[in-house]
Amino acid sequence: QEEAQAIDQELFTEYKFSVDQLMELAGLSCATAIAKAYPPSSFTTSRPAVLVVCGPGNNGGGGLVCARHLKMFGYEPTVYYPKRPNKPLFEGLTTQCQKMDIPFLPEFPAEAALIDELYGLVVDAIFGFSFKGAVREPFGSILGTLERTTVPIASIDIPSGWDVEKGKADGLQPDMLISLTAPKKAAMHFTGRYHYLGGRFVPAALQEKYALNLPPYPETDCVLQLT
Amino acid sequence: CDIPISSRQAFPLPSLPRKQPTVLVVCGPAQNGAIGLVCARHLRIFDYEPTIFYPKRSPDPLYRDFTTQCEKMDIPFLSYLPTEVQLINDAYNAVVDAVLGAEGEAGEGREPCAAILATLKHVRIPIVSLDVPSGWDAEAGGSGGLSPDVLVSLSAPKQCARRFLGRQHFVAGRFLPYDVQKKFELNPPEYPGTECVVALRAPR
Repeated sequence: QEEAQAIDQELFTEYKFSVDQLMELAGLSCATAIAKAYPPSSFTTSRPAVLVVCGPGNNGGGGLVCARHLKMFGYEPTVYYPKRPNKPLFEGLTTQCQKMDIPFLPEFPAEAALIDELYGLVVDAIFGFSFKGAVREPFGSILGTLERTTVPIASIDIPSGWDVEKGKADGLQPDMLISLTAPKKAAMHFTGRYHYLGGRFVPAALQEKYALNLPPYPETDCVLQLT
Repeated sequence: CDIPISSRQAFPLPSLPRKQPTVLVVCGPAQNGAIGLVCARHLRIFDYEPTIFYPKRSPDPLYRDFTTQCEKMDIPFLSYLPTEVQLINDAYNAVVDAVLGAEGEAGEGREPCAAILATLKHVRIPIVSLDVPSGWDAEAGGSGGLSPDVLVSLSAPKQCARRFLGRQHFVAGRFLPYDVQKKFELNPPEYPGTECVVALRAPR
């Protein structure tokens, strides 16, 4: 977890990347990976409806970007975003989604069965690699419901609620994991079908410094399928 | 920052004539140049070897950060552009023209753009222009200006693109919301799958 935070810090302070830049590239990777693993034609719901659940931090911001690109790719995303930071970046991302007619739910579906009926996929953009400690409401209940859904869940970077290094045996079991920048230790406990790498922006020098040993991305793709 | 994400994907992966995949990226003083900087960075990630010529740097903090990102990624910045065109032909496989865009190019007549364009007109390696071939009027096109091999129109082709005679025309910048597209009657082509670049059919 510390290494991931250190890499991020270097990208922002040494390389002068903005949070906006990296979040945009990360969110685009997520949408791209989802589109590869779950093309619209594969949905059993009548429309390619996707529920994107966004948490209170950067992982949630990535979810907003992802939702917007999913819309451009022909999906019908709906966002649930209960805790919104008071910062221009997140306000901007929210506006972009709203202006693209992406609905924001006023409340979270009460039953797992309702989610299963309405959506073909759930994107878990609740907590990321900075997550530590106890899960605060409303996310505890949300995760509880998500643990009972049967539709596939795609988690951004870390399955929400998992310890970033040790995982969580009785927690969320997503079908897809999109690791950003490099897989975190928790990824070793991932047992879903699809593991993708995204966030193709790490300069070679940083990769070497932190011995990331990332396999090469294909051509100009922004995602790489690991399993 | 979305535009640059697409620009870099417009570069086909041809078999390059030189052993090193070198590319010269010439960046003007305004937004078109900034897009060139972002493009250079992504080219580096794609394992090309870009070199940048950026004589007149914008004071805009965002663009200054783009410059830092390139420098930190060991992308060299030339201190001058050789006027001896053969040097450019020999050292690079292609030139990215990110000098001037569509924003009312009063810059065209001013240095250093005029001198840069005078040199670029004579290179024999392919030129890839971002959005508008530099020096062209965004609507009427250019006579006696650059003749790029590849044009990457950003968001939608500009009027001058009708006069483009090069090999490949791409549209990039897959971020326009549908209502904006409708409002301005843009009719952009359909992007395939998750691609953020689409090749247009050759004109005529």
